[in-house]
Amino acid sequence: MFLARIDGTLTSTTKHETLEGCRFLIGQRVDADGGATGDPLVLIDTLGAARGATVMVTTDNETLRVRVGKTTPARLVVVGLVDEPRTEKNSPQAPRRKSR
Amino acid sequence: MRLGIVRGSVVLSQAVPSLLGTRLVIVEPVTAGNLALKNGLGGGKALIAADRLGPAVGQMVGFVEGRTAANPFSPVDVPVDVYCALIVDQIDFQPPQTVGPADRKVRK
Repeated sequence: MFLARIDGTLTSTTKHETLEGCRFLIGQRVDADGGATGDPLVLIDTLGAARGATVMVTTDNETLRVRVGKTTPARLVVVGLVDEPRTEKNSPQAPRRKSR
Repeated sequence: MRLGIVRGSVVLSQAVPSLLGTRLVIVEPVTAGNLALKNGLGGGKALIAADRLGPAVGQMVGFVEGRTAANPFSPVDVPVDVYCALIVDQIDFQPPQTVGPADRKVRK
């Protein structure tokens, strides 16, 4: 699983039959420092992620096999919308103890 | 699934039996920089994809990589690891102006 930023949408008429009716988004994988990395990815979304949102993506095909059929080739499915990714940079610091 | 531009097709004179009759296309993956610029360039390393949709040369497709690329051929086991899963009609890609090496990089 990894985090991705939603940067666009995609429409397709001619596709593998199991992908009929799926909503496609274009996302880019997000690094630990929050920057986009790698090639753009076509994600399948059922949660209604908005542009600019950070989502969690699984690379496990099983989710989709259950939902749309065993012969589906696609793997990348949005399985969660991220509230706020917490990394070293923006994590709330633990309150410091006052030394007496 | 990544995006790629179809650059041609491959015809095999000999092949393992399970591959016979499978259409193979040459796909050039599209980088984030090129997709944002809409310049018709790919930029990635070309791959051979198994295909049943019949895209024309120059069309953009979505291709799946890895073990699941052979799922559409089930229950026949085929040595396929890239499968052309969709032909792109329309694409709307607007990454934010800031951040990330992939946003800036335009590979050729």
